[in-house]
Amino acid sequence: MNTHANPLATITGDSPEGWRLERHAHGRLDLIDAEGRRHADVDVLRAFPVTASAGPVAVVAADGGELAWVESLAALPAALKALLDRELAQREFLPVIERIETVSDTEPTEWAVHTDRGPHRFTVAHADDVARQPDGSVFITDTFGTRYRIPRVAALDSHSRRLLETLA
Amino acid sequence: MLAIGRFDLDGELRFSDGWIVLTTKRVIADEPASAEGGERTAGGPRSWTIDAATRLDVQLRSAVGRVELSQGDRIVARWLFTPAKAPAIHALEDAFDSRLRGPDGLTEPDGLREARQPSAAADVEETEEKPAAAAPRGLADDAGATGGLASWRPLFRLISFARPHAGMAILGAMLSLASTAAALVPPYLTMPLVDDVLIPRQNGKDVPFSLVWWYLGGLLLAAVAAWLLSWIQTWTLAWVSERIAAGLRTRTYAHMQSLSLDFFQGKRTGDLMSRVGSDTDKINIFLSVNLIEFASNVMLLALTAAVLIWLNPLLALLTLVPFPFVVWLIYAVRERLRRGFARAAVAWSDMTSVLADTIPGIRVVKAFAQESREIDRFVTANERVLEANDRVNVVWSFCGPFVSLFSEIGLLVVWACGAWLVFSGSVTVGGLTAFLAYIARFYGRVESMIRMVPATQRAAASAQRIFEILDCKPTVAEAPRPVRLGRVAGRIEVSGVHFRYGAREVLHGIDLVIEPGEMIGLVGTSGSGKSTLANLVCRFYDPSSGSIRVDGVDLRDVDIADYHRNLGCVLQEPFLFFGTIADNIAYGRPAAAREKIVAAARAAGAHDFILSQPLAYDSRVGERGGGLSGGERQRLSIARALLVDPRILVLDEATSSVDAETESIIQAAIDRLVTGRTTIAIAHRLSTLRRANRLVVLDAGRIVEMGTHDDLLAVDGMYARLYRSQMKAAEEAAAASETAPSA
Repeated sequence: MNTHANPLATITGDSPEGWRLERHAHGRLDLIDAEGRRHADVDVLRAFPVTASAGPVAVVAADGGELAWVESLAALPAALKALLDRELAQREFLPVIERIETVSDTEPTEWAVHTDRGPHRFTVAHADDVARQPDGSVFITDTFGTRYRIPRVAALDSHSRRLLETLA
Repeated sequence: MLAIGRFDLDGELRFSDGWIVLTTKRVIADEPASAEGGERTAGGPRSWTIDAATRLDVQLRSAVGRVELSQGDRIVARWLFTPAKAPAIHALEDAFDSRLRGPDGLTEPDGLREARQPSAAADVEETEEKPAAAAPRGLADDAGATGGLASWRPLFRLISFARPHAGMAILGAMLSLASTAAALVPPYLTMPLVDDVLIPRQNGKDVPFSLVWWYLGGLLLAAVAAWLLSWIQTWTLAWVSERIAAGLRTRTYAHMQSLSLDFFQGKRTGDLMSRVGSDTDKINIFLSVNLIEFASNVMLLALTAAVLIWLNPLLALLTLVPFPFVVWLIYAVRERLRRGFARAAVAWSDMTSVLADTIPGIRVVKAFAQESREIDRFVTANERVLEANDRVNVVWSFCGPFVSLFSEIGLLVVWACGAWLVFSGSVTVGGLTAFLAYIARFYGRVESMIRMVPATQRAAASAQRIFEILDCKPTVAEAPRPVRLGRVAGRIEVSGVHFRYGAREVLHGIDLVIEPGEMIGLVGTSGSGKSTLANLVCRFYDPSSGSIRVDGVDLRDVDIADYHRNLGCVLQEPFLFFGTIADNIAYGRPAAAREKIVAAARAAGAHDFILSQPLAYDSRVGERGGGLSGGERQRLSIARALLVDPRILVLDEATSSVDAETESIIQAAIDRLVTGRTTIAIAHRLSTLRRANRLVVLDAGRIVEMGTHDDLLAVDGMYARLYRSQMKAAEEAAAASETAPSA
């Protein structure tokens, strides 16, 4: 791969295990493993995005294999942690629903909501895609796989709560 | 006497009962289908002396079984029997075989068999019952067999489910009484209103209008009180009945979970679902709506009757004229209704069964373009529901109007007599009005009680269907004082194990010792008893005779759940529950830490593909595994087994449903899994058993060869044949795939 990216645009983070992440222009991310091999265009993701959103993080190769595993971001050197936090924030598009305007009566349900990223409309295929979590939060997955989060159902207004109750 | 077996067919295959008795020295029996020799007492049984050359063989391949007694190579007698007699006949055969093994035909080689054998011989009657017990007969489709009082009995059994809520139930009953009493007040107030106020006023007397207000006020108050009381009462009893129904559902489901595997094999999912779901709901409706009605009706009837008699005994007597007819009617329709509702419930079950059958099999349906056939199947089932409902509807729809007719006639009679009594001056107009108001109520109650009969019978039929499940006993029963094994070392001793599946014997005396940490590969053609043996080690079933010991303890004496914590199973069809991937891996240890889940997934070679799922470990997988491939699902089930860190591992064709490349990944995962655990691996593909310490070759329920791969090839027997044919097939497949691209 192209290893001569502009050094000025490169941000790096070193891990205690000897691997290193490099962030290049346009947000591309490379991992250089402990043996010095470069894995271009890697992806970072959370292993338990729903049940432990602060839990382990994996760095996976473009073809899917796991390259590095971080049990807890908090234990990482500051530079790498900052880099991973930023990457995860960018990769994890998870709008927070602040108010539910309308939900259609029949499945698949059409939703009109207000999120922290502005108003939005989407379709949910099945009631199973509205998943209540033990901590009182709700994750909603639309037909395209985009996820939305309601951090605390109790904090919603009564209109939104009523709409949600009829579903899950 | 060692054992007795019964046969039931003669030489011409006509039903004809007879017996065969085995003693230490002889076989004595009724007239066989064909025989030669043997000593015969005049007209009585024949007997044959047993010597070293005597053999007793049992064959059951078709609908007719054969017992053959032979001396040397000559058959001396043959008896024929139907599969119903098979268990006792097999017990006879076992007793004969173990008799031969004993040094003098009496004492047995090892103490264990001695302990088991007498029970096998002495409990012939009991074993004869066994097929019925093995296939629980409770869930008969014909629920209308019992009659008379029996139709109410299931409803009385429901009372035990009300016991935890006795307080609320009693409160509800008291409220019913109070609201009933309140409902009886208004007609009583109308009487003085007419006689003391309205009629005197009409006749020119000066009656102050304020009196009318008083009476109206009283009427309003009574109405409000009745409304308030009946509201609380309805709510209270609905509360109780919801809890009874919920308790019933939980009990039924929990009981089903406690039942052995054979219960589920004979059942249709849809039928069980409809019993737990729709039948409990019918009971709920009955309890919350109809039972309240019934209770308040009975009370109202009693109270009204008392008031009627107090008002005017003669008129009261007249109102009762239609009663005998009503009683006769209830008696006549009750049984018919219950049978009708039972039939309707069965039809409903059949319909749900169609759903439960075709929805999981939807891919097959579509692949073979059988959608319209499945629709037809559903329509047929639905039509049966319709027909069953129609039939029962005819009966109950007749009842209500019939009773109305009688009450109209009754009213007419009372009007006639009342008019005559008013003319003769012995009854006032107000008295008659009140009386008629009461009678209207009285008949109203009678009518609604009649309308209850169908509801009661519907609930009785439903309750019956639920108790059928509750009355099934697990065939793999927990010992009275179960031994808790804790974490076992994993030594398994299988000794003299026979297993019958209904009438068919699938294992004929298996002896096998597996050392802790040893991996055994079970090999054999399908139907040779491999899976049955594995199921017995898992204690999904108990052997018909013989024993399986783990760490020296008979499995029949162990705490089943405690033993199962030592077990890990990877089956051919990995089953994933609805939930996340992490939930599925942690199924056997729901409290497992996330690190453990990830470690198990890594060891199972599942980690990488899990990370590629949209929500990694939190991705949901559906009933049938969602978007995962067969190999992926299999790796999840291996991770599930790894997580529980089992001492004993059963791999039942774990790799046979995946392609060769996936197989190698899975094989690596399995190699990690089996290390240090007692393993029983069943595999059709012999290559997957390369890590096995010993291979056990089964044929038709017997161990025919045992040893390492090399040993068995050297023996050049059945295993060698199987191995060569697979090698050849693999070579051909390889050759075919090489030539394919050039073609």
